[in-house]
Amino acid sequence: MSVDIKSEYVAIGGTNVLLVSVKGGSAVFGTCSAGHNLQRGDISTLKRIFYIANEPVVVMNCPNNGDKRTDRIMSISPGFGGMPHEISQVFAEALAKINRGESLEMGLREIFMLMPDGVYTVYPSEYYPTDGSGIFFWGAYNVGHEVHGTADYNRTIGMDKTYRPCFLVPCKTLDFYTQKNYNIAKEYVKSAKFDGITFHLSGLHSVLLRGYHNAAACAASDIPFKCAVIERISDPFTMPYAIQQEPQEPQPEGENAEDAKTAEAAAPKAAAIQEGITGFRSASVKLPIDIMPKEMLRILLENRREYKPTQYAPMISKLSVVRRRTVSNNVLPLEVLEKCELMPDCEMIESAFAINSLNEEQLQALLNGDVECNGEVIITPNFYSSIVTACNYLQFHDEKRFIEFAISIMENPELYATHEYIAKRVSRVGNKKIYQYFKSVIASGDPRYEKILVSADRYVKDYDSRH
Amino acid sequence: MAFCDLKPVRVFDEASGCTFIIGDMFAVYPFGTDRPTVYNWNMMREVTESKKALVFKTEDSKYTIMKSCFLAREDYFRAIAIIESSRREAEFPYVHERRVLPLKHKYIDCATIADAYTGQVIIDEGDAAAAFITMMNVKLVKLLWLIALLIMLLTFGILHFFVGITRNNILYFIPISVAVGGIITLLVYLACHAVARNKYQKLAGCDPASEELITFVVCQFGFAACESCVYDSQELMPWRELDYFIETDKMFIFYKDNNAIVYMPKKAFEKKYIGGILDTIALHLEQK
Repeated sequence: MSVDIKSEYVAIGGTNVLLVSVKGGSAVFGTCSAGHNLQRGDISTLKRIFYIANEPVVVMNCPNNGDKRTDRIMSISPGFGGMPHEISQVFAEALAKINRGESLEMGLREIFMLMPDGVYTVYPSEYYPTDGSGIFFWGAYNVGHEVHGTADYNRTIGMDKTYRPCFLVPCKTLDFYTQKNYNIAKEYVKSAKFDGITFHLSGLHSVLLRGYHNAAACAASDIPFKCAVIERISDPFTMPYAIQQEPQEPQPEGENAEDAKTAEAAAPKAAAIQEGITGFRSASVKLPIDIMPKEMLRILLENRREYKPTQYAPMISKLSVVRRRTVSNNVLPLEVLEKCELMPDCEMIESAFAINSLNEEQLQALLNGDVECNGEVIITPNFYSSIVTACNYLQFHDEKRFIEFAISIMENPELYATHEYIAKRVSRVGNKKIYQYFKSVIASGDPRYEKILVSADRYVKDYDSRH
Repeated sequence: MAFCDLKPVRVFDEASGCTFIIGDMFAVYPFGTDRPTVYNWNMMREVTESKKALVFKTEDSKYTIMKSCFLAREDYFRAIAIIESSRREAEFPYVHERRVLPLKHKYIDCATIADAYTGQVIIDEGDAAAAFITMMNVKLVKLLWLIALLIMLLTFGILHFFVGITRNNILYFIPISVAVGGIITLLVYLACHAVARNKYQKLAGCDPASEELITFVVCQFGFAACESCVYDSQELMPWRELDYFIETDKMFIFYKDNNAIVYMPKKAFEKKYIGGILDTIALHLEQK
């Protein structure tokens, strides 16, 4: 059966979204369920995998029966034996094509042929080549651990907002890293339009299909890591909305009063609520059913959200096998690792997506212990959550305001519960003002700074050694 | 989710002109429109499976799909499996006819089922009726003895009341009482047999799966009893979903809350495996 790939641009809120539908795809790579771990007696954790050909690449353990609001426990599968060369070649050619100037839909066509049936959106976006906690992504998933930001629905961002994934998960082991390719990549990324191709996996994380050395080179050279992102559209969303009505002109009393009553009766009495779901979404796009191309809508409805590929059985049998080289001897350049530590982490990114803007008045209200400003909830009704989110938002957008806000919080004894967290957050920023503040905290010996002392001491020592 | 590989079912209802798609969502293309109304399963107020139709009730609408609209029997079983497995997450009320097989929302996805006994068979009506009778015997055996004893005493009392017991006739009255008790108990027993057979026939009549090829799986983690046309050997019902089991000559019968929910014919498996299967089941369930 031949693969039918169609693409179409759809206008949503003033922007054009590229949609690509795949029918009869070979499902060479994608995600699927790997069932519950009955052997361990654990039926509350659902296992999902990202696979390429018959290799299980990334294992995602989803606690609470796969609850979409819970972060995943992720790791590279111990049975992953490496990406087949021919598939790697397809990814390489696709990256070369989009860098030669071909459109995303044409350049990535060969990749779409390898995907499961469904509807996808494709767009360019910048990524941080980390796991979301400051560790360079390539070597960050050797041991299974809970990765913050991998839940499908981020609690900070909320269910209704869209966001752009910006952290990475590898589908190649570190064995493939070579200093020679890294040096070539350092030159390549200076002029490339796209440095990599990613496939959205879960939450804020995507799998990097191509561009590993480019990611390292971009991190080392402080160049944004530009990727072509493929995201599957499959989740329903519901947004009951009212049909807009023209406001009625106030009618004069007297002779026209009867007419006014008639007009009132003729007008729709209540706002109509749409039946069923509003549309389908991915992490970054919400598509109302009304504007979705008919054929794509049918593909969406006539396919399951996730299905098992034909190579499922041999692939699953590899999950329990441990490959020969589980640990690589390759060492990544120190400059890459250091630069990654300074990149925005998951908490900053989710706060940035959760808040549209934060003015001085709102910040002051938060410092005064209020969660509302001018009758509106500033961030969330939870005070401590609001403080933390505001702090992370400022850290992402405005370092100067962040430092001032963080110091104000640490100076406020009523916000004692947040001091330790804020001190840790502020320790990530190298700044003289923070240094002086922490020095004064250590010197004062005030018991109200008890929770800050460890971070302050470490920061001052580190700052002294660097300067 | 179990049964996540089943292809969504598309059904056209000639009477209403609507096209329905039963999959991850429930979609309705009303007559003459090309934009569907799509419902998430958690938007369902109730789904009813009756003898002739499937009825989907949402907050404002009610959709009926006649069973005759399904082009193939496999489509029907696929639709039922999708609806029932969706209940695991969506938890909508589901009203259904009596079943010979457990509902699909009790299954979990297991990916691989190692060291499992697998067999396929169409459940034989005679075997199932025999199982019903055996089950009934288990329940009735004490009651029948009691009935026999009571009727004996009653007969003896009646004879004494109308005829009067003397030394001469007491030797006749005792055998007569025993015989009457025995005969009436036998009649009750035969009537119960007829009821049991009828009971299974009614049950089988409610569930089209009674005429389908069924796949049975038994392994240390759970078991499966599912229509072969929808089963892909990756779903299991954990043993904790059951309370105990009864072994008859021809079947294993599994119980939950004192209701028989699975009838597993022994002839689905090769004879040499029956001992192993019994051991596996007995390791996880109490045998009664």
